[in-house]
Amino acid sequence: MSTKNAGVAVTLFRAWILAWKNLTHDVRKLILAAAGVGFAVMLMFQQRGFNHALFDSTVELIQQLDGDLILVSESRFALSSEMRFPRTVMDIARSCTGVASANSVFLEHSQAKLRREGQRERPIRVIAFDLDIPVFRDNNQEIQSAQTKLQRPQAAIMDRLSKENYGFDLTNLDAEIQTGELAGQQIQIVGGFTMGRDFAHDGNLIMSIDNFRRYFKYRGPDPTTMVDLGVVRCDPKIDPLDVKSVLAEQIPQGVMVLSQSDYVAQEVAFWARSTPIGMIFAIGSIMGFCVGVIICYQVLATDIADHLGEFATLKAMGYGQTFFAGVVLSQSLLLCLFGFIPGFFATLLLFEVNSAFTGLIMLVTPVRAGVIFLFTLIMCVCSGVLAMRKLLTNDPANLF
Amino acid sequence: MILDHDQLDQLIACWVPSDSEQSISIDGLDHFYGEGEARKQVLFDNHLHIRRGEIVIMTGPSGSGKTTLLTLIGTLRTVQSGNARVLDRQLLGISRDQIGQLRQEIGFIFQAHNLFESLTATQNVKMATELIGLSASEAHQRISGLLTRLGLGHRLNYKPKSLSGGQKQRVAIARGIVHHPRLILADEPTAALDADSGREVVTILQELAKHQQCTILIVTHDNRILDVADRIINMVDGRIHSNVLVQRTAMICRILQEFPLFRSLSPRVLSQVADRMELQQFEPGMEIIRQGEIGKEFFVIARGDVDIIVDGKTVNVLGRGSFFGEVSLIKEQPRNATVRSNTNAICFVLAKEDFQSVLNASASFEQELRQAIFERQ
Repeated sequence: MSTKNAGVAVTLFRAWILAWKNLTHDVRKLILAAAGVGFAVMLMFQQRGFNHALFDSTVELIQQLDGDLILVSESRFALSSEMRFPRTVMDIARSCTGVASANSVFLEHSQAKLRREGQRERPIRVIAFDLDIPVFRDNNQEIQSAQTKLQRPQAAIMDRLSKENYGFDLTNLDAEIQTGELAGQQIQIVGGFTMGRDFAHDGNLIMSIDNFRRYFKYRGPDPTTMVDLGVVRCDPKIDPLDVKSVLAEQIPQGVMVLSQSDYVAQEVAFWARSTPIGMIFAIGSIMGFCVGVIICYQVLATDIADHLGEFATLKAMGYGQTFFAGVVLSQSLLLCLFGFIPGFFATLLLFEVNSAFTGLIMLVTPVRAGVIFLFTLIMCVCSGVLAMRKLLTNDPANLF
Repeated sequence: MILDHDQLDQLIACWVPSDSEQSISIDGLDHFYGEGEARKQVLFDNHLHIRRGEIVIMTGPSGSGKTTLLTLIGTLRTVQSGNARVLDRQLLGISRDQIGQLRQEIGFIFQAHNLFESLTATQNVKMATELIGLSASEAHQRISGLLTRLGLGHRLNYKPKSLSGGQKQRVAIARGIVHHPRLILADEPTAALDADSGREVVTILQELAKHQQCTILIVTHDNRILDVADRIINMVDGRIHSNVLVQRTAMICRILQEFPLFRSLSPRVLSQVADRMELQQFEPGMEIIRQGEIGKEFFVIARGDVDIIVDGKTVNVLGRGSFFGEVSLIKEQPRNATVRSNTNAICFVLAKEDFQSVLNASASFEQELRQAIFERQ
């Protein structure tokens, strides 16, 4: 048995060598083949990329929150749906053991119409919180550095990744104060921060709670009685999970306590399952995969067709099925590698360009690259199996 | 007239092919292409027996089925019906494992060289040695030796792109014979070669046949190489039209020419006679023909003596070079005498129809014959 296995190993090794030589000896052909597979790789990356961009962009605000636990209304099925809970819940939260701080975040989108002179009104997402206790990670300290300016009446800072068509000069947010109109009142943009837009929001503003009250009087005599999100930071000595169960017990029904990652997962699940958007991109990815199989099959089948006489001669010599399966599978594997690597780097470039044009967040994480690699591998092996059928099933005389 | 005993012994050896020595043994082989309505028969009831070490050349117009027959023998095509034994294995219903083993004992040389562009000459030939488990140094020695003999010693590590058409074909030939196959099947192997290279290839094939008792079957239109053939097979419309043991026929011709009777025949007619002649051996005292029977054969004595007996009396003794049996064939009469061998006798035997067709083909032969009969009386 072991000698038989050794025999198979030797056969496969020879097959690999032959596949390598056949694939690499004509550089021009190799480049064409790699380009074909690389294109399919990019297509899949692009589709998955848009899909992820939808989710990544949508949850970016949640990701940037600097807290251990988040309070949110149970009715808030998506971040963009404006379902809120009473501010008193935040007082309850603050009184719970293990809670270091609990900060209210106010969001307004439907009534937050921003207008620049000469432009039409466009909705923007307004984010407000107690500036003394920052709720965002604020890695570049953009919010912190604008803190004093934001205390002024009618002041706000604007997301640098907001859509251009608001009419503000986004590259020059820090240098000069730009004036516009928000919900019918004058507003001054006194600085910038970085967050990113998504499919529901074209841009973001951050302002103080006092200013928020000024602009959104429609929300009641005190526009801040209803809170959009509660950001809870726990005592570092206590396990956030314990705090979570305490909170869940104390706060009234209708309000959820979620860890940041749970909330991200819940939001993604909503877009993936309850909207057609997830399905659209899933279909796009499958189409990318199918196009990849076709390209890859074409490349392999042509290559096998080009060498059919040689393979038939080997078959006539007594080379068996294992050898030919080995050659074709080795070739698919090599093609997968030769196609994936340039496809991956081209994708990085493409995503940069995409991001620059759309403002969406296009990321390639190791896991996502791994998934695409796996798909590329399956794609190449499938095509290889399809392409070698003729070689395996036919009499050599029919192959010349 | 004295017959060369060695030649006779060789002839006799030619005649009695023992079954175990046959490389190829085909009986009732049909073959069809296509299926259903498009099904077309391309081979019709073919019979072919080739002994070990024979060099066989197969000719015929294109489309006559010679390549089909070649690929069937080489297991490159699945045998559909009929009996086909190649190197002691039945091809009808052969298993995949057995096919793999059988193919390793066969060397193929195709019209197209089918070399891998990505491999050097040596590496291409090495593909054939890897299956038979030679050590690396042994394989390398054998390959470079063979390629050098074929005039490619200075091209061992060249890729096909840098080789001429003839050089590529020689590499393909080296690949076909490097593993010392027991049977070599070649489809137009010299078509792409100049006279010298073609001759060198044929010489190598001849040596393989002689020293390693390798059987060689060549499909070719190249009449420059016909001289190496032991047997020439002509195929027409899917049938073996003629199957001639060239060497044997040549040998019989040489022997027959010694007889005055056959001296006047043109080489063409002589070879026809020779081709159709059978050799028969008779023990002392055996009756070869009997008086009163209908004559079916014509005899020429190659060795030994026979008694002519009419009505129980011995009237004559015929020796080497004499012939008998012709009278009843010409006159359509019963045998007028009994002929019995009185020593170990060997005769060339020609059947009645063949005898008559020779008679019709050559007026001088008939005259010669009548003269001889006249003289005998």
